[in-house]
Amino acid sequence: MTDLILEVSKLKKRYGKKTVVNGVSFEVEKGEVFGILGPNGAGKTTTLEMIETMRPIDSGQVLLDGIDVAKQPEKIKGLIGVQLQSSAFWDKLTLVELLKFFGSTYGQHTHPLTLLKEVQLTDKAKSTVETLSGGQKQRFSIASALVNQPKVLFLDEPTTGLDPQARRNLWELIKTIKSKAITVIITTHYMDEAEELCDRVAIMDSAKIIAMDSPKNLVKKLLAKGFKKTRRVEQANLEDVFIDLTGKDLRE
Amino acid sequence: MKQYFNVIFCLAIALTKRFFRDKVAMFFTLLFPLIFLVVFGSLFGKQSGARFNVAIIDQSQSAFTRKFTADLKKSSFIKEKAVSALDDAKQKMSRGEIDTILLLPPEFSQLNANHQPTGQAVVFYNPGSAQTGQTFASIIDGILGGVNETITGQKPLFSVEQRSSGKAGLSAFDYIFSGMLGFALLSLGFFGLTNSLPSMKKQGILRRLRSTPIRTSQFILGNALNYLIIGLTAITIMFIVGLTVYKFNMQGNYPSFIALVIIGTLLMFGFGLAIAGWAKNENQAAPLANLAAFPMMFLSGTFFPRFLMPSWLQKIAGLLPLSPIIDSFRFVLTEGKTLFDLGPQLLIIGVWMVVIYVVSFRVFRWE
Repeated sequence: MTDLILEVSKLKKRYGKKTVVNGVSFEVEKGEVFGILGPNGAGKTTTLEMIETMRPIDSGQVLLDGIDVAKQPEKIKGLIGVQLQSSAFWDKLTLVELLKFFGSTYGQHTHPLTLLKEVQLTDKAKSTVETLSGGQKQRFSIASALVNQPKVLFLDEPTTGLDPQARRNLWELIKTIKSKAITVIITTHYMDEAEELCDRVAIMDSAKIIAMDSPKNLVKKLLAKGFKKTRRVEQANLEDVFIDLTGKDLRE
Repeated sequence: MKQYFNVIFCLAIALTKRFFRDKVAMFFTLLFPLIFLVVFGSLFGKQSGARFNVAIIDQSQSAFTRKFTADLKKSSFIKEKAVSALDDAKQKMSRGEIDTILLLPPEFSQLNANHQPTGQAVVFYNPGSAQTGQTFASIIDGILGGVNETITGQKPLFSVEQRSSGKAGLSAFDYIFSGMLGFALLSLGFFGLTNSLPSMKKQGILRRLRSTPIRTSQFILGNALNYLIIGLTAITIMFIVGLTVYKFNMQGNYPSFIALVIIGTLLMFGFGLAIAGWAKNENQAAPLANLAAFPMMFLSGTFFPRFLMPSWLQKIAGLLPLSPIIDSFRFVLTEGKTLFDLGPQLLIIGVWMVVIYVVSFRVFRWE
């Protein structure tokens, strides 16, 4: 057990009679990209929001960098960066103004232009959020989650609704973030995305984690059970054709 | 501690920038009260006494009546309306275009045995506004009394002298101005945040904010500071228009006035905050804000004075949060009092202030 940044044990959440998170436990090492996969309503977002201090924890414990999330939520907020699934930013303020404001809430002097450069939005510095495309909005959202130089970055379905070019562009960004030794916890519906980005994944269904390992090992285990695809797998798929035809350049 | 206030300050700056870039919000918060001011100011502004729309029908056409009517037309309380005949005038009066008709019959100004002109003028008035007719008739009576005096050379034994009891130069506008300022603070407080905050919740802007270390109290105080800036701007604009266009006669001192604007803005903002902070969406916030603001709009002395109400209603209306604010404005602006003379008003304001902010902090929801 070396260098654990996040320890989640027996996490539970109920809404009325419905248990949406039922005894979820996992651990994440420093610098890892950890994916939480699962169909809609599996409890991914609720699990993340409890770790992010956005929702009260019914039972169980979360330790982030050794700090109990339930006991010191203010301290945790300073250590993490959060990109929420259904969140928005004020209109009528420029990206620089927004980043400066978010920085101020952490009591930190921010360098908006450096952050915007990291997410390739330098030329949009004086634009407002409402003029950005979907992919640009997501990249800005990530920039805003990095203002406090967090130890852990949470990304909740960051590529949902993006075109293939914008998705690939965001993958590159997440890899850059990982290279800076920031731990990333990401939820997604896309398996190719998880295979591309994640060191390990947890698969959730009906409020529980039903499998957890590296994508490669999970595939190996399935093959070991004698699984065979009904159709022969080609060396390329339709998305590869699409990217080949339209190029990797961002359209925004 | 320094960091705590820095966040409030940065939030207020961000919100204020947004406000001054939002033309629709600026229109409703800055221009809307100004429109009311212009409407009411024009109704009451330049008028210093009664003024009547009068049709004068001179059937005598003697040298005396011609001189008499010419003098009447010059006087400030009469606005002559041209008519062709008595029937035409009566028809116009029934439509409200004319307040009264002054008829000088053919025998008016005929000489009597002593070679002095005599006669009886007739004042017609609409039964619907008998007061107007009676007032006008007594004015004409007074003028004819003066004419009698000149001709006969006899002074009446008893007479009346008219004196204004108000301070020098106070116009009707000076009295309604305080109500208009109160109305501006009411609409700013009740309809500003209740429009914007629930939609910020719905869009998820507040969710994103809540994932930062910002505290609820910082968020609330930052918004309050923002509204203080907007409130002072709105009142300044209204005040300048009042001073320049409607010749408002400022009697009080500015420090007391500014302090009142700040107190009034914070109190009215507290109500908007309680409603907007509690509401999950606009559908909850808008009707509640209207419901709460409605009684104050009519009972606190914004458009008509409270002394016109029955006494039991006056007592209740006096306790509404906006009432002591408008009363204080009136005392300071038109009677030259300072904050130290406003004990009873400040007491009511203080109680409401504590109540509404305790409630606001309790019911505030981020989502």
